Amino acid sequence: MNNHTRGTKHVILRVLLYLFVILVVLVTLYPYFVMFTTAAKSRAEIYSTDGTLLPIHWLWQNFKDIWTLAPLSRYFINSLIVAGGSTLIAIICGIPAAYALARMKFKGKKIFLGIVIISQMFAPVVLLVGIYKIMSTFGMTDSLVGLVFINAAFNQAFAIWLLRGTFISISPEMEQAATVDGCGKVSALIRILLPVAAPGIVTALIFVFINAWNEYTVALTLISTDVLKPLTVGITIFNGYNMVEWQYLFASSLFATVPVIILFVLIEKHLVGGLTSGGVKG
Amino acid sequence: MKKKKPFAAVEPYLWLLPSILLMTVFILFPIFEVFRTSMSEVSKAGLIKGFCGLDNFTKVLRGSTFKLVLHNTIVWTVAVVVISTVFGFILALVLNNKFRCRKAVRAIVVFPWATSLIIQAGVWKFIIDKDYGALNTLLMKIGLISSPVNWTPTPQAYFAWEIFVGIFVTVPFVTFCVLSGLQSIDNSYYEAATVDGANYWQKLFKITLPLVKSSLTVSTVLNIIYVFNSFPIIWTITKGDPASRTDTLVTYLYKLAFYKGKSGEAAAVSVIGFLILCLCASIYMVVSLRKEEE
Repeated sequence: MNNHTRGTKHVILRVLLYLFVILVVLVTLYPYFVMFTTAAKSRAEIYSTDGTLLPIHWLWQNFKDIWTLAPLSRYFINSLIVAGGSTLIAIICGIPAAYALARMKFKGKKIFLGIVIISQMFAPVVLLVGIYKIMSTFGMTDSLVGLVFINAAFNQAFAIWLLRGTFISISPEMEQAATVDGCGKVSALIRILLPVAAPGIVTALIFVFINAWNEYTVALTLISTDVLKPLTVGITIFNGYNMVEWQYLFASSLFATVPVIILFVLIEKHLVGGLTSGGVKG
Repeated sequence: MKKKKPFAAVEPYLWLLPSILLMTVFILFPIFEVFRTSMSEVSKAGLIKGFCGLDNFTKVLRGSTFKLVLHNTIVWTVAVVVISTVFGFILALVLNNKFRCRKAVRAIVVFPWATSLIIQAGVWKFIIDKDYGALNTLLMKIGLISSPVNWTPTPQAYFAWEIFVGIFVTVPFVTFCVLSGLQSIDNSYYEAATVDGANYWQKLFKITLPLVKSSLTVSTVLNIIYVFNSFPIIWTITKGDPASRTDTLVTYLYKLAFYKGKSGEAAAVSVIGFLILCLCASIYMVVSLRKEEE
């Protein structure tokens, strides 16, 4: 009898578990479902009082039209430049810093790590007034180069944090052996540590890339020339004064979202381990 | 060997140099500029005319708008962080079980984290629209309502929806931080506890919670900073309107700086926001240090 009730209880718990998981999945996917179905509707269908769940006719044409209605391919390239450029700079600056923080002892190390964390408290949006001023002095207010540097700088803390965590988790013995053999620190880093640390580096790369790709506020403030806008700012062109062209807004949103989601799913497993473990070790 | 010593002393700093340069120019200089602007009289065109002490701060603090905006910011931050943390924690516990399609479910749960906030906010703006929104359509098709519901009759209702979207995009981060903590827990703890006759809740509070505490702390601290500074959700859905009823500090300072040409006051709001975050950080430090002493 006892065994029987325990069995029933187990079954009920399993059912509840599945119900909960299904509910979470449905709610999470709902906005993407809305984005996708609305992107394939006609404007009349979207604004009609008799709403539909699925498009009456799937207007795949919308996904083609957006590329001629707006300079979407320019926006796409701009996003690639900003995300790619800032990732490159953030990693090139971040690797030596993370290496020093993981492998060397020096005065001010703790202070530097503290500053790295505190810098996280200043989101770009709080510093917009200052960022705008600095960019004006450099003549970079309306340029992609400016966006590249801002994104690189504001992702520096995360890059260092992730990379340092990766480097610490790798035993320094191999590099030490190489240095004894007359190999310099730089070449030991490049030839020995970096290949072993590749998964961690890729995680940091993708993470910075996604952050820069999705950035909105700084780009909105700094960029005024239409052909220099990245996707996040550019697609709001469909958010007109009188009427929002939801079908075009969502079609272009999907083009902006899907590549990033794929990247994110690829690194998801490594990312959080890196985030939390980097902090624990001194 | 001896000749190398002076170099060895400066070497670590050389490795740090590129990173320090990057952050100095693009973070430290703007911070300095914000503080300087907050204590300067600024022309509409953004030119600094001269030092004016704390004038900008008194101007900002005197108005009733600031009180409202500060109140909104606190409600926004506390509501989003607390609810996301509780729900994200529960979701992590559930996802840590073995079940079918677990990998796929975990991949799906990460979607909102990977999507640009501006896009996520745009979709939700469409979903909750009272005239043609997707939520009304859905509920009418499945027969839960017979005529469209106005989901946003008041500014507070709009603000509540913004908080909902904030939670929606914040939960995945908490979930994955906790999951990584859960995976590092050795199963033998639970086995030993089961032998000792501990029930589910005892295991949860005596084993799980203490062991994922550090992960939860990391996610909570980062979330407080991110949510406090979050701009795109509110900007997309209401732009802080009507009359600042849904403004938080960041949307308010954005309007001050770039719509009303009051950079000085905007910078003062930035500084106040930063001081509030510092205060939270130091309270957190004091509390966690005291706990360690116990």
